[in-house]
Amino acid sequence: MWIPIKYNLRNLVVRKVSTAMTVLGIALVVTVFLLVMSLAEGVRKTLSTTVSAKNVIVLRVGAQSDVQSYVSFDQFEAIRTLEGIERNKDGQPLVSPETVVLINIPRKDGKRTNVIVRGVGPEAFTLRGDNVRVVEGRMFQSGTAEAIVSTRLKERFADMTIGRTIAAGSERWTVVGVFDAAGSPYDSEMWADLHNVQDQAHRGTGYSSVLVRATDSGSGRDRVIAGVKDDQRIKLEAKPETEYFAKQMGTAKPIQFLAYLVAVIMAIGASFGAMNTMYAQVSARTREIATMRALGFSRTVVLASFVLESTTLGLIGGLCGALLSALIVHAVLTAPTGTSNFATFAEIMFNFELTVPLIVSGVIFSLAMGLFGGLLPAARAARLKIVNALREA
Amino acid sequence: MKYFRFIWKNVFRKKIRAFLTMASIVLVLVLIVVLSSFLEGMEGTTGTGKGATHIVVQHATGLANFMPLAYRQRIEQIPGVVAVAPEVWFGGMYKDDRPENFFGQLSTDPETWAVIHDDYTLPQDQLKTWQAERDSFVAGKQLIDKYHWGIGDRIQIKGTYITGMLDLVLRGVYTGPDESNIFFHNKYLENSSIGRLSRTGIFFLRTKTPEQVPVVCDAINRMFENSEAPVKAMPEKQFMLQFAEMMGNVKLLVRSIALTVLFTVVLIVANSVAMSARERTTQIAVIRALGFRRRQVLALVLSEAMVLALLGGLIGVLFSIPFTHMLVEGMKHSPVAPFAYNIRISAATLLTAFVAAVAIGIVSGFVPAIRSARVKIVDGLRQVA
Repeated sequence: MWIPIKYNLRNLVVRKVSTAMTVLGIALVVTVFLLVMSLAEGVRKTLSTTVSAKNVIVLRVGAQSDVQSYVSFDQFEAIRTLEGIERNKDGQPLVSPETVVLINIPRKDGKRTNVIVRGVGPEAFTLRGDNVRVVEGRMFQSGTAEAIVSTRLKERFADMTIGRTIAAGSERWTVVGVFDAAGSPYDSEMWADLHNVQDQAHRGTGYSSVLVRATDSGSGRDRVIAGVKDDQRIKLEAKPETEYFAKQMGTAKPIQFLAYLVAVIMAIGASFGAMNTMYAQVSARTREIATMRALGFSRTVVLASFVLESTTLGLIGGLCGALLSALIVHAVLTAPTGTSNFATFAEIMFNFELTVPLIVSGVIFSLAMGLFGGLLPAARAARLKIVNALREA
Repeated sequence: MKYFRFIWKNVFRKKIRAFLTMASIVLVLVLIVVLSSFLEGMEGTTGTGKGATHIVVQHATGLANFMPLAYRQRIEQIPGVVAVAPEVWFGGMYKDDRPENFFGQLSTDPETWAVIHDDYTLPQDQLKTWQAERDSFVAGKQLIDKYHWGIGDRIQIKGTYITGMLDLVLRGVYTGPDESNIFFHNKYLENSSIGRLSRTGIFFLRTKTPEQVPVVCDAINRMFENSEAPVKAMPEKQFMLQFAEMMGNVKLLVRSIALTVLFTVVLIVANSVAMSARERTTQIAVIRALGFRRRQVLALVLSEAMVLALLGGLIGVLFSIPFTHMLVEGMKHSPVAPFAYNIRISAATLLTAFVAAVAIGIVSGFVPAIRSARVKIVDGLRQVA
């Protein structure tokens, strides 16, 4: 049993160039697949990193994001009186009214895109706990046109360093600090004082959304959600913050679609390449195969060992591809990248995420390429008639 | 040319190999055509021809902010401006909130719509009816094909960021460069939150000649510079480009994918040509002994790669057209539907793909060709397959 296996594996080494080219082809296909998938994974991870399962976001009915929503001051006052809301030490309900505006500003590459400016009060930080904290500079002062920007924003946009003023239309904010939002969607935003944002954007006294901390993620949360819906004074829509962001996951769909499309087409191409190599091998080694069969190795063993040869080809390609993409993700693509979030029309920023399940799927994928490429040539090898093959020069 | 039969025979000496190699070229070319069509679709194609006189005015802060409707009269007075229409992106939901059912819904002034959108065609009688009935709308041909609406049908659209429900009756079908939107009377929005505030999302206008576009843009920008709502006026093409820029690095991503894919297929083809040449070392030595020169051998092997690449390229380009159409049709019923519209295969894309095929042939044939040309006659003849 070991002889055919050794024979086939050693053959991979004998024809170095041809093996290397086939392996490289498979490796590139796996690399492209893994890189695009890790992009989609980055979006997914950002949108599923939420702060607390107890948080509930209140929006206008039908609004897909807070950018499109409006909550009046009266509705906000009514929300504060609902049951199921957690209270702070002083007995005040943990409720954060927030106003968001979109500003169109240039990235470092000069192209412009939309960024969310979120006007918040002190409650906003209480509700997010440690997940939003200032890591550089200081917090903005209430009542001023100061702002803090996320670390990803600072890396990706022009003029985001401390002391610079960001201008969009007639609106102006001076950056005084940089915050880290633990990879959540807030990591794509700029935060400023609530009343200042309301003023500068001429939003009156209303808000875009209200974030509410429920007493627990079970019945308390349900009571808040039901209250927001049924209370005659409110009549808005509430959903858990986790669910709210999960719904925006559609943003990653086109990228995933692209990954699968490219991967499937290229996988077929690469396995054709592997098939070519294997057919050439089978015909070049006709006499050797016949000799093995004459020595008593069965058709099945020959079939299996040739399939093993091509699967090994695929496996090496897959491992090289995984290594290459890990190298690219960790050495080249370290800066945050971004794309438009369709629910908010603002840019959502994220990092490439090459996870272990992704790598495993890439390697399995390469095995499939090798298997598919080797099956038909191996069948031909197994079908060879001993007498004819030995006679062949 | 007299060696063509020889080359042809050598290419198809191993039929399976020739087929597999060509098939991988075909697959890659199909992929290249699909990818570049997507890229072109994302960038949009307006701004050429008649669209060159169009200007879009938006709030300087960004599209999500609204401007006073009263700006309209002041813009109309700028010399060179033919007509102005305030338009609001309704962004509502039709049927459900699945992305495949999303299309653009714009309120506009039907009196000036036809004058401004001179690149759209709408039958005169349909335009008249639309102008007369304030709850009517016109839809692009593409949407009619998708939803099979008939003239006189009513549709309901639920507002998302603008509260309220649109209940509209179809009165016309337009054709033009972008048929993925519906247009309805801006009077219909008068009672909505935006209507009450007398605000609008954008102003769409047309100048007499393309040369006036930059001048008028400048005049509009300066006019509202110090007002409560400063604006940004720009050619329609640039306005559309904003959305492509918002997609971020997707363009770069698609380009890198295309390049890697090309490189991969070069490897596959080069490997196949090299294998074929190696198996024929004796044959090459024989023709060299017959008096063929080194560069003739080089040309022969290179031509084999070219024949493979050109055949694969031709089939690939031909096959990519129905494939892309199929893919776009499939996409229209999937969550990525908004991307499916505007995807068209241009002649430039097909040409690029074919040029890529030629490049594949040259690059992948070169190394095996040089190797074959270097074969020493004695060694070649001595070698037994």
